[in-house]
Amino acid sequence: MAEVLLEARNVSKHFGGVMAVNDVSMKVEKGSIYAVIGPNGAGKTTFFNTLSGFYIPDGGNVVYEGRDITKLANWQRIQLGMSRTFQTPSVFPELTVYENLLIGVQSQKKLAFRLRLPSAGRQREIDARIDELLGFVNLQHLKGRPVAELSHGGQRLCEIAMSLSVDPTLVLLDEPMAGLAEAETERIMEVIRDLHERLNLTVLFVEHNMRVVLSLAHRILVLDRGNTLAEGTPNEISNNQAVREAYLGQEVISRV
Amino acid sequence: MLANVAPSVFNGLVLGAFYAFVAIGLSLIMNLTGTINLAHGSFLTLAGYLAFTLVSRGTSFWFALVVAPLLTVVVGVAVERLLIVPLYKRDPMFSLLLTFGLALIAEEVYRLIWGPNGVPFSAPGILGGGLNLGFMQFPTLRLFIALVLALAMALLAIFLWRTRFGLRLRAAVQDTEMIAAMGTSTQMLYMVNFAIGIFLAGLAGVLASGLLGLSPTMGNALLMPAFVVAIIGGMGSLFGSIVGGLLVGLAISVTTLYMPAANEIIMYILMAVVLLIRPRGLFGTEGLFG
Amino acid sequence: MKNRQTQGLIGSILALILLAILPVKLGSHSILGLMHLDVSILSEMLLFAIAAMSVNLLLGYTGQMSFGNAAYFGLGAYGAGLSIHYWDVKFIVATLIGTGIAILGAVVVGPFLLRRRGIYFSLLTLAFGQVFYFIAYRANHITGGEDGMSFSRPYLGFPGWHVDVREMSFYYAMLILFVAILIAFWLIVRSPFGRTLQAIRQNELRVRYLGLDTNRFIYVALIVSAAMAGLAGALYGLLIMFAAPLMLDWHQSGDFVMIMILGGAGTIWGPLVGSFIYVIGKDIISTITETWQIYIGALFVICVLAFPRGLFGTILNAIVRRDVGAPVSEEAPISEVPWDHGPTPNAAAMATEQKER
Repeated sequence: MAEVLLEARNVSKHFGGVMAVNDVSMKVEKGSIYAVIGPNGAGKTTFFNTLSGFYIPDGGNVVYEGRDITKLANWQRIQLGMSRTFQTPSVFPELTVYENLLIGVQSQKKLAFRLRLPSAGRQREIDARIDELLGFVNLQHLKGRPVAELSHGGQRLCEIAMSLSVDPTLVLLDEPMAGLAEAETERIMEVIRDLHERLNLTVLFVEHNMRVVLSLAHRILVLDRGNTLAEGTPNEISNNQAVREAYLGQEVISRV
Repeated sequence: MLANVAPSVFNGLVLGAFYAFVAIGLSLIMNLTGTINLAHGSFLTLAGYLAFTLVSRGTSFWFALVVAPLLTVVVGVAVERLLIVPLYKRDPMFSLLLTFGLALIAEEVYRLIWGPNGVPFSAPGILGGGLNLGFMQFPTLRLFIALVLALAMALLAIFLWRTRFGLRLRAAVQDTEMIAAMGTSTQMLYMVNFAIGIFLAGLAGVLASGLLGLSPTMGNALLMPAFVVAIIGGMGSLFGSIVGGLLVGLAISVTTLYMPAANEIIMYILMAVVLLIRPRGLFGTEGLFG
Repeated sequence: MKNRQTQGLIGSILALILLAILPVKLGSHSILGLMHLDVSILSEMLLFAIAAMSVNLLLGYTGQMSFGNAAYFGLGAYGAGLSIHYWDVKFIVATLIGTGIAILGAVVVGPFLLRRRGIYFSLLTLAFGQVFYFIAYRANHITGGEDGMSFSRPYLGFPGWHVDVREMSFYYAMLILFVAILIAFWLIVRSPFGRTLQAIRQNELRVRYLGLDTNRFIYVALIVSAAMAGLAGALYGLLIMFAAPLMLDWHQSGDFVMIMILGGAGTIWGPLVGSFIYVIGKDIISTITETWQIYIGALFVICVLAFPRGLFGTILNAIVRRDVGAPVSEEAPISEVPWDHGPTPNAAAMATEQKER
């Protein structure tokens, strides 16, 4: 049995009178790819946000590497080895691709708080690391371009590279395929698969695109109206009657 | 003992009610549009001067009490439509800067028209003297002011919570896009919202002039405490402004009794304490970085 | 990019030469027969520019607008004055003490400000600025209360150079300081720390999700900003031998913001241009009419509505736009005003409606 990297224990979160997430539990094994899905309003983004530190849950715990991180601030979770992307690529709009990555690399190398410029040797290290990260997502040729000029897919790739700059063990992806055309979706899937293998990453993602989910994920958690509907392997989930009904008919699953 | 404390407490509460009143006007504007109206004090002062002008032309105080705020609203809406509307599509910082510039201009304009030293403006004789209610003598003027403020706040509450338009206004604060999608004109909402805020300022201005005297900087003296009250009560909450105002009023009266030198600072100390315990204010909405 | 940097450097050197010869060339003539550019005015211009730069640091590099920097300016003046009054210290020591008191103020107030961003942050800076105002106002026995306090000015001299405030040598001393601060500013901006600050302005959430505690960065920025304002305040107090509560008031804070905006927020030279317009302009206008505040206020309103980048900023932007190619990250970007985070979610809906009509 592989080691459990991230665990949610009876996590609950409500907003005013609305129970967005109700007593959800989940275990993510190290080295696996885990997906959280559900129809609109299922609470998956809220749940995701409690894991990443965007929200503090009202009930339950989030445990990472055996350590209770429920109340930890988001930046602290990153320092522990987590990393995250957003539905709309969260980058630095006025900077070039290179500069975007520089911020993360500086942070990882604990140089961000310095007034002194890095020495030549250090700078070479930094540049090499940036090149390496860009290499993962095949964006080296766009290094000097302003990130605002990149396509939506390009910005997402840049964001993925940025999320890798902090040397994470667990990567949280919030609807990585959102707003992407078919070809771009393929590319991102390849990148995720490749990085998962190459860097031994654990990946947790929220996604709507069923084809992507069933193809990529090792295990899937299905939420519906804040509650756990089902949890299991792609096979188990696509054969699950309750899941099929929740997704408005069997066509969606069977067509995949 | 009570005879000593009660008048002070009463005066403090009336002052607090003033602050709350101005704070509510500020909050209404801030909540819907994100604009921090640094010219709010200027509108207060304007209403006072307009009332003064009306009265010196022969109208009654009561007439001025109603009409001056209305005239001020006209000016306010003109300012909003012409100068602030173009800034809504930008960072709220720009509106803040604009209102600061307007405050500078206004102060100087008042000095030009009405002189730099303030003008005598007092409430009619009928409001002088006091009302003896047994355990203390209530100054009639303050009583009257307290009643008017309370009445206005009650009317505002009815408007916001019991009318359709009020409902739309409250909903717009939560989600303007949704309201627009449902067919309400957001332009109208913004304008009416601003108008209400200015009306409250105007009313407070006329009352304050009768109580505190009228000078070019009168409104600004009420502006800062109103901001503090809004912060204490919680940014985003109208009810919080009322509670905050009364708390501040109480704190001021207590300090005036026992440590008069600190009675201006006490509200800031209160603010600091509240922020330490509850960074979003007593009834404020949740921030992302606290 | 190298081209842009060289251009900037040359431009800056030209500007400095201009500043250096300004008093020599114009000091003897009067402008429009209205005023002389004397030491006092020119030094005031430089010091107010530094105060505006302190606001600029926060706005351009963390994206937050402080409406309370006059408090630190005033703390600097009072710090210098009080230290002379009680301990009879020398000029430079007084300046350092004044700056130190301002820094202390920011250290204490900072944690409260850090809890918020955007307009609520500005609101808090406004409120806390007033705290210091009232302390200065009320602590009569120490600060002289409403009337302020006057104090003597100690001798300022360096080996081989006696600096007399009544002579241009004081202006040149201030100019040297100004240049030093410009250089310091530039060093901060290009450092990893400065880059992170700019990143925070653009997308604070992303910076946090890269593992950095942004509050730490903003806190330091607040303190540096207060130090700059305090330094300017201490020197200003020493210049006019006076410290008054009004120096800490929110109107003064607003004036510093106004100066920054008039010149161009987010640029290095903007504050000086703005200060030139404000200080010199105010002086000229006030000899013509008493109601100079209306004109300065109106100028500011026009600036906010039509020239959000300020005078220098607009010119700089026009030059930058002419070059086709990759935008330089450290200067004003080609698109909107850099510190415009866009409308509040509510106002955005309103703006869409406006467009559709």
